[in-house]
Amino acid sequence: MILVGGVLLLALLLPGLPLGEWRAFVLDTAQFAFLISGLALAWDLLARTGQLSLAHGAFFGLGAYSAALLAPGLGTLPALLLGGAVAALFSLLLGLSTLRLQGMYFAIATLAFSEVIRTLVLKAQFTGGSIGLPVQPAFAGAYPLGGYYLAVAVLAICAMVSLLLGRSRLHYAMAATRQGEAVARVLGVSVVRVKLLAFMISAFLAGLAGGVYAMKTLFLTPYDAFGLGRAVEALVIPIFGGLYTTAGPLLGGLIVVSLETWLRLRIGEGYLVVYGLILILTILFLPKGLMGLLARRKGGRHA
Amino acid sequence: MELLLQTLINGILAAGLYALVASGLALAVGVVGIVNFAHGEFSMIGAFVSYLLFVGAGIDPILSLGLAAVVLFVVGALTYYGLIRPVLAAPELNQMLLTFGLSVALQNLALLLFGADTRVLFTPYQGATLALGGVSFGLPPFAAFVLSVGLLVGLYAFLGRTRLGFAVRAVAQNRLAPGLLGIETQRIYLLAFGLSAALAGMAGVMLSVMLYTSPTVGFAYTLKAFAIIVMAGLGNLRGVIPAAIVLALAEALVSTYVPGGGGWVEAVFFLVIFLALTWRSWRTR
Repeated sequence: MILVGGVLLLALLLPGLPLGEWRAFVLDTAQFAFLISGLALAWDLLARTGQLSLAHGAFFGLGAYSAALLAPGLGTLPALLLGGAVAALFSLLLGLSTLRLQGMYFAIATLAFSEVIRTLVLKAQFTGGSIGLPVQPAFAGAYPLGGYYLAVAVLAICAMVSLLLGRSRLHYAMAATRQGEAVARVLGVSVVRVKLLAFMISAFLAGLAGGVYAMKTLFLTPYDAFGLGRAVEALVIPIFGGLYTTAGPLLGGLIVVSLETWLRLRIGEGYLVVYGLILILTILFLPKGLMGLLARRKGGRHA
Repeated sequence: MELLLQTLINGILAAGLYALVASGLALAVGVVGIVNFAHGEFSMIGAFVSYLLFVGAGIDPILSLGLAAVVLFVVGALTYYGLIRPVLAAPELNQMLLTFGLSVALQNLALLLFGADTRVLFTPYQGATLALGGVSFGLPPFAAFVLSVGLLVGLYAFLGRTRLGFAVRAVAQNRLAPGLLGIETQRIYLLAFGLSAALAGMAGVMLSVMLYTSPTVGFAYTLKAFAIIVMAGLGNLRGVIPAAIVLALAEALVSTYVPGGGGWVEAVFFLVIFLALTWRSWRTR
């Protein structure tokens, strides 16, 4: 809680700090880190019900394209919200047909879904196809820091939703669904409805983050917006930071994105290999992530 | 009419390789109970083994087939020992994340080592074609079909006729009882996972001749294999062959008859997965 507040406060104050010639780079990287951390928090919401989504890259991209196409007509904020809504709508359709089945089926379907959405966007006319789509900056460029603060707002919303859901009755329903569907059903949890609700909230937030991302990069291509890399980021960060927590994805996001920025400069294209390794090593040796490590330290001191 | 016949033959020929890749995946899912997202990457390794042996030592891909099978069996066995066995008791989410991580790591490791280029093998029989009553098809797809059918017959004979094959099927049916009967479950898992990787690796060797070799060549086959085993029912080996034929024929028909079909072929497997899942979901309601 304190950690979450601290990160958000720092995010708000960052543009005012004396950063000298690094200012533009730091703000740009920070903005990217906030959006990806928001995406990671969104992914974690669904993971709390025990479902593995490999489609969060696609929801991010759907939000990005929708917001980019709608913003000139509707204005920035309505376009961002509609971008989230489009992502949520797709998650509803995907969830209705797959969330009744075992988790494996869902994971496979989400992977296939994200590949197909990319194919569709590549083939369609109004998206600019493989050439790409130029995007207006946030608020048509009226405020230089508008995009940055939108990213902070998205991160704050994702963190709030994550914290609130962690304290609600739904939290117990989600945990029960994850730990044993049959038991949850017996306890009166409407398992499919809980999973579907988590999926839609999660996709909406991912779409929201995607919309702000579009207004940050100013140019979208299917390979960038729908690449599997985004889906990988969305899940590596919560695993590394600590699943089913709010502070974990937040902390993990800042660390992993910093690492990624450095790696991109160093080794270029194959940087995802590090994500694969982080994923494997964390699951084998640190299944509760950084938060688990911190909790163990703290527990040790008390004992 | 001739176009239809040609399309159907292309579809059937593709189905052989699909069935080979998907049988491997079905073995991993059905026996070990692991959804292996890195299955296509095992094929990618097989393709690189074949490519490197051909370029480096001039060894014909047909001979690499056996070597790739051995290499990939070892890779599969090591993967099982090092990565899969520790998470067998872990939640399903963790298992899937682990194999997904392996897939990402292998794909990008290959990208770092070899670059993103697609590499084509130039064998003397590359462009050879066979003609049969008005329809013609390339020799490599035909050879891959024959080899795949041969390997599948071997696999089914192993599972259906040998004591070890019985043990594998017993473990697939029940986790506990075979152990009580004196079957060493862990060794069967190891065998099944190694075999699964070996099948993927041999399919990869065929891909290196028919298609090309690149770090991402396997990924599409992971998805296609998933489409097939979802249609067949996860882990159901017997359904794999008909499901592979359905997928391959659907793809062939789309690429021939849908305008601009080349790109849409990539969407067929999703339609198949989606329909199969929706049907399954309604049936279990």
